[in-house]
Amino acid sequence: MNVNLLYSYKEWTPVKPYFDWNSMVKDLGLNALFQAAGIDSVTRSSRAVYAEKEDTYLSFVMKRISCVPLETKEEVQYRQEVLADCLRKEEFVGKLYRMTTKTLEDWEKLGRKRNNTGVRDSKAELITDLQVLRLLISSVTSVRKLMLENIEGLQSRGFQSLFARMEEEFSEEALIRVDKVLQDVSFYTDVTVREPKRNVFYSYKPKIVLDCGLTDGLKLSDFRVESIETLEKPYSNPYGIKAKLQGQMNSIAPNVIALYKDQALQEDAAELEFQTISYIYDCCSDVANSLGHFFDQLRFQIAFYLGAINIKYQLQRYHLDYCMPTVGAQESLSFEDLKEVVMSMEQKGKTVGNDGRLDGNMLVIITGANQGGKSTFLRSVGIAQVMMQCGLMVVAKRYKSGLYPNFFTHFTRREDSAMNSGRLDEELKRMNQIVSNLGERSLILLNESFATTTEKEGSAIAYDIIRALKEEGVKILTVTHLLSFAQKVYEEAGASGEADWKGTTFLSAEHLEDGTRTFKILPHAPEMTSFGLELYDEVLTETE
Amino acid sequence: MISLLGQDHKKEPKGKGASLPAFFQDLNLDQILKKVTEDWGQEVLTLYHEFPVDEEEQNYRKEVYSDIKEEAIYFAMMDFRRGIREWQRCKERGNKVEDELQKHVWYLREVQCYESALEGLRDALLSSEKASRLKSQGMKGLLGFLTACTNKPDYQEIRKDASQLWKELTDFRILLTYEKERFTLVEGKGTGKYEAFLSECFPGHEKLFRSPFLASDDFSNLEAEILKQFRKKHKDFFVRVEKFHKAAKPYVCDELSELFPEMGYYLSFAQFERKMMERGLTFCTPKTGKAEELSAKGLYDLALAILCAEEGKTIVPNDALLLPEEDFFVLTGPNQGGKTTYARSLGQMVYFAKMGFDVPATAATVPYYKKLWTHFSVEESAETGRGKLMDELVRLKPMMGKDEEGSFIVINELFTTAANFDANVMGKRVLDYFIEHHCKGIYVTHLSDLSKACETVVSLRAGIDEKGRQTYEIQRNEAQELAGANVQVEKYGLTYRQLKERFS
Repeated sequence: MNVNLLYSYKEWTPVKPYFDWNSMVKDLGLNALFQAAGIDSVTRSSRAVYAEKEDTYLSFVMKRISCVPLETKEEVQYRQEVLADCLRKEEFVGKLYRMTTKTLEDWEKLGRKRNNTGVRDSKAELITDLQVLRLLISSVTSVRKLMLENIEGLQSRGFQSLFARMEEEFSEEALIRVDKVLQDVSFYTDVTVREPKRNVFYSYKPKIVLDCGLTDGLKLSDFRVESIETLEKPYSNPYGIKAKLQGQMNSIAPNVIALYKDQALQEDAAELEFQTISYIYDCCSDVANSLGHFFDQLRFQIAFYLGAINIKYQLQRYHLDYCMPTVGAQESLSFEDLKEVVMSMEQKGKTVGNDGRLDGNMLVIITGANQGGKSTFLRSVGIAQVMMQCGLMVVAKRYKSGLYPNFFTHFTRREDSAMNSGRLDEELKRMNQIVSNLGERSLILLNESFATTTEKEGSAIAYDIIRALKEEGVKILTVTHLLSFAQKVYEEAGASGEADWKGTTFLSAEHLEDGTRTFKILPHAPEMTSFGLELYDEVLTETE
Repeated sequence: MISLLGQDHKKEPKGKGASLPAFFQDLNLDQILKKVTEDWGQEVLTLYHEFPVDEEEQNYRKEVYSDIKEEAIYFAMMDFRRGIREWQRCKERGNKVEDELQKHVWYLREVQCYESALEGLRDALLSSEKASRLKSQGMKGLLGFLTACTNKPDYQEIRKDASQLWKELTDFRILLTYEKERFTLVEGKGTGKYEAFLSECFPGHEKLFRSPFLASDDFSNLEAEILKQFRKKHKDFFVRVEKFHKAAKPYVCDELSELFPEMGYYLSFAQFERKMMERGLTFCTPKTGKAEELSAKGLYDLALAILCAEEGKTIVPNDALLLPEEDFFVLTGPNQGGKTTYARSLGQMVYFAKMGFDVPATAATVPYYKKLWTHFSVEESAETGRGKLMDELVRLKPMMGKDEEGSFIVINELFTTAANFDANVMGKRVLDYFIEHHCKGIYVTHLSDLSKACETVVSLRAGIDEKGRQTYEIQRNEAQELAGANVQVEKYGLTYRQLKERFS
């Protein structure tokens, strides 16, 4: 049975992830976010108390799920709805997560076979299978109960339809029927009744009736189960006088084959019993597989939402405002007080937020002062985009943007930018891979790209590539020090009346006249200096 | 007596241990054929070792193969093969069991397997013929033969009796109750209630009750006990079964059995071709052009393709064109550039075309060549004790015999140990000799002079890209070298012009 808490129409599968997820995680520093998802918290007297030990599974799930972007507005809204439910009913989410985790752990203890090939050759394995089924049936009954208690407060389509599906597939009636079958074969898993009744020990004994025919070489075949049940019988000594008498009676009765003292026959009987139980288990195996899948998926999917709750606590802890982002038209991008969440958490909330109205701007060129917050700004957009595209909240008062399933980052870190043809080669190689994997609705964040060669050459390369990409309809945000490139585009955009470079805008890190950096990014024409000299002065003057 | 291999095909018993022509190894055909005949056995493999005797027989086979490739016929033949295997297994198992009564029951089965295999194939071929999809002489012959076999009166009678007895046997049902350390036996049919309950609880899946006793053909103790009681009750039935077996006349058509390997010859390749096509490889039926033009599109080395498919790698296919007035390819180029692979794929194409099969390419025209010869350089042979050059010359000699005119020749690196001047002269003489004797072929060499040896030689080169890496593309024109300031940008296809092309 499908859980479908992440998508309305399917379970989560790792298809169509971001092209180079590992680079994105590194470039945007996303690992800190995933880590935040793993810090479990409980509210005690209206204060959040954080678990000391991180739940790495929660971080793992957050990382896994956010690497596959949602592609439509509906998909995003679906998750946002479920998340809203979860934020309202945190306790329920925590319980559900612990319940499924416990079930899977118990299953692991019983011995979970990694490769279920359908062929079972030992009695021990068969018994384990039956015990697992029993465990899953009792767990799903508890999950059903928990859902039933909370369903009133759950408004999202995700939880409502999950509950409806559970009612259909694991209805009380269905669970009782499976339970009856398990009862019928319980002699196989439980040998003796543990509690003696009136000083007599009882043991479980089978009664099996099989219907069979003859086939090739006169062998018995085509078995069908006519009836099977478990009888509770007082324990008797198989070597006692009673058994002996019974055996002798059997051996003279017509139509009877007695097993007494005949080991070969006893082995045949055991084999037949094993195959009968196997057959019955196989009938239940779809239910077992379905339940197994259900618990795997439920834990995985609920872990995502629990992770989101944990992230929310971290945001609250540092007094960071967050909102549910809005999916807008494809070319839209506007936000209010957008903060770079990773850095904000690191600096305990003391960061500057940016406002922006970049609707219709498919090319955004950001220039300006070193250490002015350009890269931070670029990352803040990147992280917000990733968070929005997996259904999470965004750290801003308002955030609205289109969806970009083909999202790439091309960052050159400052320390990498030694002039070295090998590095340029590597940069171009990555660019080439990005170009090869572009698709509809592509977004590229370029940070200091092509700075690994001379300014002149780098500008020429950037100009060519960005022009071609823009004409292809790719959305680009670029932080650059290649001022000849920025100037050239600026002049052409002005001169050609914005024909070739329609929808291009220029931002700059704010820089007050006295040289103070406010870390605000504002619309501004590119300037021929990145104020490195000032920084030089600032640093060296201080030392002087 | 009919044959699927040729109209008057005669089996020529080959001396045991006769060595295979060198080309099987040189062209990696041995590896390919091993894959092809993987589950078909030595008898079928041997048929791959001999060429059709003449052009007529080659065409005969080509027609048979094109019939067998037809989906309906292919599946009918594969079913037939399975049926025959089943029949053989029944016979073996019947022979193996010791209980007399079991032997008789196996006999019933055996007859039925044979009958359904034969008649299944007969009916399928008949309906193909009605749809006029049975075109080859060979397959029409097979149909006629099958019809004759199944129309014999003896065969008809046995068939009827066997199925009657079998029906009676399988109609018996026994109810077996296991309780209190004993089994109780009642004859009759169950109510099926519990099964109905199970399928109500768990709808939508038929699960198989694996009978615990079918692993061995002999009776288990429990079965023996059950049958002891059962036989007493149904004495006459078992007497009838015994009588039938003892009085039975032979029903097997021996001449048909002799055709099994020949069917295997075509089926094994058809099966292989299907498997390879599922993995994305292409095959095509070669055309036989009027003139002596050899051409191929998307040609590849099948042995390499099999390996690459297993490892998930892709291969670079190539084209080939040898016009009627041209005689020989001379292929030069960088090491590891795909030269040998190209030569092999040409040789493989000629081989499979000669055998009447499809060839590994997207389109091909292959004229009739009398024989196929290859000459690949080998490690110095310790056995013969000759030097390498001597060894090469000795191996060259049989290729230059009188009967070898009009053959297809694949030469890979001759005279590498000789001095350059000598090698050039000798290489040219070898080329001249073959051209004079109406042979066609390919000569892979590192001696670029040979590509200008004479007018009917076509010069090919293995390509390299601007960075000097092998492209594995073999073409007539030579590779061009790239230069420029923006080599790096250009290398990754990131100039404005290149990007525009990529996006268009």
